[in-house]
Amino acid sequence: MTAIPASRFRAPAIPRRMILPGVLLAALIVIPFAAPLITEANPIQISVRERLAPPSWEHWLGQDEFGRDRLARVLHGGQVSLMVAFLSTTLACLVGTLFGLIGAYFRGPFQFLTTRLSDVVLCFPPILLALLVVTLFGPGTVTLVAVLSILYFPAFSRIAFSEALRVSALDFVEASRALGTPSRRIVFGTILPNIAGPVSVQYSLTAAAAITIESGLSFLGLGVVPPAPSWGQMIRGARQFMNQDPLGILIPCVALTLTIYAINFFCDRLRDTLDPKGNGGGKDTTSQPTSDGQGGGAAGDVVAEVRNLRLDIPRPGQPVPVIEDVSLTLRANQCTALVGESGSGKSLSALALMGLLPGAIRQSAGTLTLRRKSGEMVDMGRLTPKQLEDVRGNDVAMIFQEPMTSLNPVHKVGAQMVEAILAHRPMPKAEARAQAIRLLTLVGINEAERRFNGYPHEMSGGMRQRVMIAMALTCEPRLLIADEPTTALDVTIQAEIIELLQKLRTDYADGLSLLFISHNLGVVAEIADRVAVMYSGQVVEEGPAKQILTDPHHPYTRALLESMPSSHEEAHSTRGDRLQAVEGTPPLPGRRPSGCTFRDRCPIALASCALDRPPLFGGSDRHVRCFRAPEATQEAA
Amino acid sequence: MGGFLLRRVAGAAVMLFVVGSIVFSLLAVVPGDPAELLLSTGGGSATPEAIANLRATMGLDQPVMQQYAAFLLNSVRFDFGTSIIDGSSIADNIALRLPRTLEIIAAGALLALLVAIPAGTAAGLRAGGRFDITASAVNALLTSVPGFVVGTLFIYLFAQVLGWLPAGGYVAFAQDPVQHLRMLILPAVTVGLHLATIIFRMTRASVLEMRGHDWVRTATAKGLSRRLVIRRHVLKNALGPVITVVGMQLGILLGSTVLVEFVYNWPGLSGLLVTAVEQRDYPTVRAVILVVAAIFIAINLVIDVLYSLLDPRIRLQ
Repeated sequence: MTAIPASRFRAPAIPRRMILPGVLLAALIVIPFAAPLITEANPIQISVRERLAPPSWEHWLGQDEFGRDRLARVLHGGQVSLMVAFLSTTLACLVGTLFGLIGAYFRGPFQFLTTRLSDVVLCFPPILLALLVVTLFGPGTVTLVAVLSILYFPAFSRIAFSEALRVSALDFVEASRALGTPSRRIVFGTILPNIAGPVSVQYSLTAAAAITIESGLSFLGLGVVPPAPSWGQMIRGARQFMNQDPLGILIPCVALTLTIYAINFFCDRLRDTLDPKGNGGGKDTTSQPTSDGQGGGAAGDVVAEVRNLRLDIPRPGQPVPVIEDVSLTLRANQCTALVGESGSGKSLSALALMGLLPGAIRQSAGTLTLRRKSGEMVDMGRLTPKQLEDVRGNDVAMIFQEPMTSLNPVHKVGAQMVEAILAHRPMPKAEARAQAIRLLTLVGINEAERRFNGYPHEMSGGMRQRVMIAMALTCEPRLLIADEPTTALDVTIQAEIIELLQKLRTDYADGLSLLFISHNLGVVAEIADRVAVMYSGQVVEEGPAKQILTDPHHPYTRALLESMPSSHEEAHSTRGDRLQAVEGTPPLPGRRPSGCTFRDRCPIALASCALDRPPLFGGSDRHVRCFRAPEATQEAA
Repeated sequence: MGGFLLRRVAGAAVMLFVVGSIVFSLLAVVPGDPAELLLSTGGGSATPEAIANLRATMGLDQPVMQQYAAFLLNSVRFDFGTSIIDGSSIADNIALRLPRTLEIIAAGALLALLVAIPAGTAAGLRAGGRFDITASAVNALLTSVPGFVVGTLFIYLFAQVLGWLPAGGYVAFAQDPVQHLRMLILPAVTVGLHLATIIFRMTRASVLEMRGHDWVRTATAKGLSRRLVIRRHVLKNALGPVITVVGMQLGILLGSTVLVEFVYNWPGLSGLLVTAVEQRDYPTVRAVILVVAAIFIAINLVIDVLYSLLDPRIRLQ
């Protein structure tokens, strides 16, 4: 849920999902109060001769243990329950919200009061606190309303407080405060509309809880005083006779449950509507790689090969293509850089190679082959999930962009490394531990022994990335994928990490193939042997790094190079993610234009570029996907 | 860790003190003479001698601060005075009945954990799947049934219609273990059912959140088996928030246990409490509530410590 300035706050149209719960709830609230229209029977009229009478024409739901009309009692009992619940909830809501707002706006002692108060009240089981008060004041409707509102107002004040705190820190509230808007107007005009959502969710929750407690107390005979009917009391009364007359307990039980259910249902939907992210569906499974059987037969130094990879987001009707026809060959002792703007499909291509595609994305064509340590080339699409587990981390490892979140905060660093080792190489724990510490030292972590026993949150981002690198190297993979390993780090740390990767390639992991993903051409120039430039799901230019970086043939590569800052310092800046030299942004996956996908932003596009999608032109060493590139004109000639 | 523990214990002690003060002062803020109020049942007023007598036994004739100090001191020593109805020792009454209440809660909580954690995990891992949709719908329905309604319906179904289990009552375990356990089943399931709905909901949400974190992908990338990834990198992270919320909900659980005991005629604290409330035996009510609040605070203290063992970052806050 995003906050909106008061001036633009409008009651939104009722969402579709709210209609059913809304109608159900409204019906259950209105029906009890329509009792006079439904039955003329008096709920407290005793008729001993007709006690426990089954349903009849005059008494649709039969008569209870005193011969009172059960329909009338259920309806009137509902009135009492609902009135107690909504009256106390409304009181609690008004008082609590006011408290919370005051606490949030004035802070100081008010803040202390609002936050501590709810802590204390939470210590009392609600029904026990109610019993305590009933002991002193005797049972009755007024006591109930008073107790329930006292019980529940701290919850409201806490929610109002924290939400108001959040909202008042937002820019537009700060701004209006700076402009001298009176506090009263800020609180009621700006903050209140913004916290209405969470407060209304709490309102429904509280109403349901209040009904539960009211009926519970009445069931104990300590709530609503007879002869006034209430659902809890009806169950209490009918309990002794459940054998002869099960209807007696069933009717109030159903009425009570249905009402609470309706409120909860409404509350759930309301919460989902206000905060859709909380209901994130989807499965956690990574989607399995597939094979169209065209892999195999690669030269001896090829470590991995991506051929004609196509990834889709399955949608009813037309699937949305994310990756269209990507081919890459990764060789031993070689660093291949995958370059492009955010959303070009670099990371997805890499994740596909790990068999780690998110569940929402399907591989619809192409093959991913990988050389295992045994020397055998395997088709990832033909591996069982078990075999895939064996390949991951062992033959191919990956370093991710976000070192701050890539390590599990609740496990020690050492434990996370050891489990990676033990996943592929059964050995005594002490041996795994020694190996992990050796690796930590290798990646330049001081006091590796101490760090081994430390937690990720005790380390800086640069150190965590070193740990990630050490972890990736535990099983001496043949292919290491580094997905923007330096983007989240400080400039100086970036340089150190690149240096480390370079050093490892030459000194430690002989024959390692590195797939380095980056949008930063400055870094790429330092480390890469080959470069593949990606644009909106396609490789648009591919070849030896030196040639591509000094003599780009695709206009997009040229634009990337032009937008690259000239000085070394800036080359490491994190802000290279958007292309300044060319107007516009890459097209979204579902909205890619016909023909060449870059033509809308291309300075040299021709009308004919809109007709066909350009194929990859060029010989064995260098390819480019542009009709106007030298390779294309040569082929045409 | 030592500092963290000390802070939490001190916090719990302060909380207990505040709770005790509130319980005490409630009687002081009641308008009129509390002794007279407590003895006025059903409209009839008590004799002056009886009132004077009660004032003396409850110490109401002492200055308020002195009463307060005595009350706190005695509470710490687990001395809650005598019942104003029959003069029996309140501490003895509680000591007799508290274990029975704790038994129901422990059995119910155990059942709830055994069912709800695996179910919530399965639902969270495959959110939107068939199991999740079914389980979540059933859960929403069960959440809406108050404990005493479940109890009443259970008695009707399992005792009256099917005749499988006794409708209620209590036999000491030492006297007849089998019958004791048979009598425990329905109350424990009733209490556990409600707790299970809360645990299920929390586990599902927590697993759903945790499984999307980067470290889960890292763990998969390392080549850990799916089972290990879920156990070590989803569940271990997810359980912290779950147990915290369960701790917070224990207050409601303790409350619903009162009703469940009443439904099944289980002679725990509830019987003592309900009779005391009916007869306006304020010292007993006060003592029971103080004990329950203390248990609640103690459980939450334990949970805080458990959570800090699960997630080391908590100790820093």
